[in-house]
Amino acid sequence: MLQLRVPGALIDAKHLALVQELCQKYGNGTFHMGMRQTLNIPGIKYENIPAVNAKIKEYIQDVSVEMCDCDMEADDLGYPTIGARNVMACIGNSHCIKANANTHEMAKKIEKLIFPSHYHIKVSVAGCPNDCAKGNFNDFGVMGIYKMDYDQDRCVGCGACAKACDHHATGVLSLNAHGKIDKDSCCCVGCGECVIACPTGAWTRGDTHLWRVTLGGRTGKQFPRMGKLFMNFVTEEVVLGMFANWQKFSAWVMDYKPEYLHGGHLIDRAGYVKFKEMILDGVELNPEAKVAEELYWTEAEQRANIHVKPISKHHKAGPQA
Amino acid sequence: MGYKVCFDEVNQIFDELRKEYEIWAPKRFPGKGRYSDTDLIRYDKVKTVEEIVFDEKSDFPAKEVLSPITEPLFYFTEDEWKESKATSKKLLIFMRPCDIAAQQRQEKIYLGNGGFSDIYYERMHEKVKIVMMQCDLNDDTCFCVSMGTNKTDNYSLAVVAEDGALKVEVKDDAFAPYFEGKNAEDYVPSFPTENITKLTIPEIPNKEVLTKLKEHPMWQEYNKRCISCGSCTVACSTCTCFTTTDIAYNENGSVGERKRTTASCQIEGFTDMAGGHSFRNTPGDRMRYKVLHKFHDYKERFKDYHMCVGCGRCISRCPEFISITATVNKMSKAIEEIVAAENK
Ligand code: SF4
Ligand code: SF4
Ligand code: SF4
Ligand code: SF4
Ligand code: SF4
Repeated sequence: MLQLRVPGALIDAKHLALVQELCQKYGNGTFHMGMRQTLNIPGIKYENIPAVNAKIKEYIQDVSVEMCDCDMEADDLGYPTIGARNVMACIGNSHCIKANANTHEMAKKIEKLIFPSHYHIKVSVAGCPNDCAKGNFNDFGVMGIYKMDYDQDRCVGCGACAKACDHHATGVLSLNAHGKIDKDSCCCVGCGECVIACPTGAWTRGDTHLWRVTLGGRTGKQFPRMGKLFMNFVTEEVVLGMFANWQKFSAWVMDYKPEYLHGGHLIDRAGYVKFKEMILDGVELNPEAKVAEELYWTEAEQRANIHVKPISKHHKAGPQA
Repeated sequence: MGYKVCFDEVNQIFDELRKEYEIWAPKRFPGKGRYSDTDLIRYDKVKTVEEIVFDEKSDFPAKEVLSPITEPLFYFTEDEWKESKATSKKLLIFMRPCDIAAQQRQEKIYLGNGGFSDIYYERMHEKVKIVMMQCDLNDDTCFCVSMGTNKTDNYSLAVVAEDGALKVEVKDDAFAPYFEGKNAEDYVPSFPTENITKLTIPEIPNKEVLTKLKEHPMWQEYNKRCISCGSCTVACSTCTCFTTTDIAYNENGSVGERKRTTASCQIEGFTDMAGGHSFRNTPGDRMRYKVLHKFHDYKERFKDYHMCVGCGRCISRCPEFISITATVNKMSKAIEEIVAAENK
């Protein structure tokens, strides 16, 4: 099955003509919506692979080379690697009113940093912590957030923001005796429900686009788990600086001998603290940024005692004897 | 007299003017709109002409200059009180024709309504000089022509922005000195003559029809659609409702401040009285109250014209896409039905 990458899940509709042609001429006439938002063409016969690869050159040129500016050339041989998976995204603020970000733009910038490469990684970008993009079940979930500003002179004390925060988010807002809003800033997720609800524009998004990054989510037969909050209120520079370190980190964990291994396992092997040190190497954190000091995973084991095994079978990170 | 003055020179004039005036105009706040990466346009003090948004309607109306959303009224101690300070400067406000008409409608409520003048409004109102922004928008929510608010001569200066210059009509002699020696060029402002949206306001022939209209099922639609957020009234050029709150500075409340804050008849709890009684319990009831106020009650009381000036801001700000013009059209249909049934 051929999978055409759609980083950020948004492309020019003109490409659909090619997809239909490939399905009907070289495939078995059906089309599959890829689980990772790829365009999938099932049933391509072995002998047709070279012809199909030649046909998709223009698509790769348009989407990977031009749209995402990936460091590669399109040729007649199809995609150079399958390591890094398609960067998924929800529709973001090109349509969704809840979104805090343009998810496609962010996804394209991430794609440029992780593709082409033999190192496996799954990333999904959501416009807000609602996470329709399921970043919580990817190695990295990247979600658009903001620090919100409150202008008490524009507040009419209607309480709509507090209700919205309570209903949709964290319930950190309350109406005080002066008819204004108090905020317990401990746990605001930066989702913007308060801004959307406010009739007067008393709540507004801050001046800088910020992101929330979850880590280590995955599905799987053995130990599916939800990601955990890794970084909060970080700038785009921090997120991209982190992804720029991914290949270096992966190479080190596998002692520079690329083998096909899911990105999440690499993080497990290195351990969170080592991962954090390497992935943030040289990354300058913005003043608002928060990073998890430790992460404790609770595995939802599908199979009993999965981690309990002879020491000799334990995986090791870094230089190996 | 007419002039055409390049922006650099306008800014020099602004510098002169600002010695005596605060200059208020619609200004863009990038990224501060309700949805991410959208802008908010609202009134603020400006220093340069480049800050002024000419080619888009502001989200919030000019009324915020004269009656800010939150305004301290006075400060009190046990047996004395002291009025809050208003700005010492005069106010030069850039307004479109609809906002100018809206000011006139607000005056009727604030100044002299029931023989009472609101001193806090009055002290601002006295300071105002108007710069009429020629309006070529014709946004699909505008219906000023239907409301008769598209034309005005209530201004000191009229302006239109054209390729880095401002064409100015100086109507008020007080401003003539600022333009002395500037490039003279004839300029007569034009006014909107036709809107995309047109509205015919129904006549309510008598009290019986009015009573039946109030009970008409049409209002119930809004119980489902309207979320009672108040966005429409905060954005409304003509709404004037406010509440007052006392803020105590000490434990027993003998020292403190009284302020007033914009209120909205659309928000639940607006009519709550001591004892927990409330008049308008459903979004439909509140919608009916607002629409009749804008398109019947106000005119009934003050004669001359309806309260609504057709600025369309309530339409553009409503998160539920409720349109005041569509609502008035539904009301017309309901009135026709009621009258037809009576004549049967
Ligand atoms: S994650 Fe947020 S921005 Fe994206 S589609 Fe869902 S609600 Fe909208
Ligand atoms: S951003 Fe979200 S969590 Fe924070 S205060 Fe607003 S609604 Fe609540
Ligand atoms: S929604 Fe806006 S106006 Fe209403 S209480 Fe909250 S901040 Fe104030
Ligand atoms: S009711 Fe709507 S259209 Fe009429 S003045 Fe108010 S905001 Fe403008
Ligand atoms: S803005 Fe719309 S939803 Fe909100 S109160 Fe007005 S009509 Fe109802």
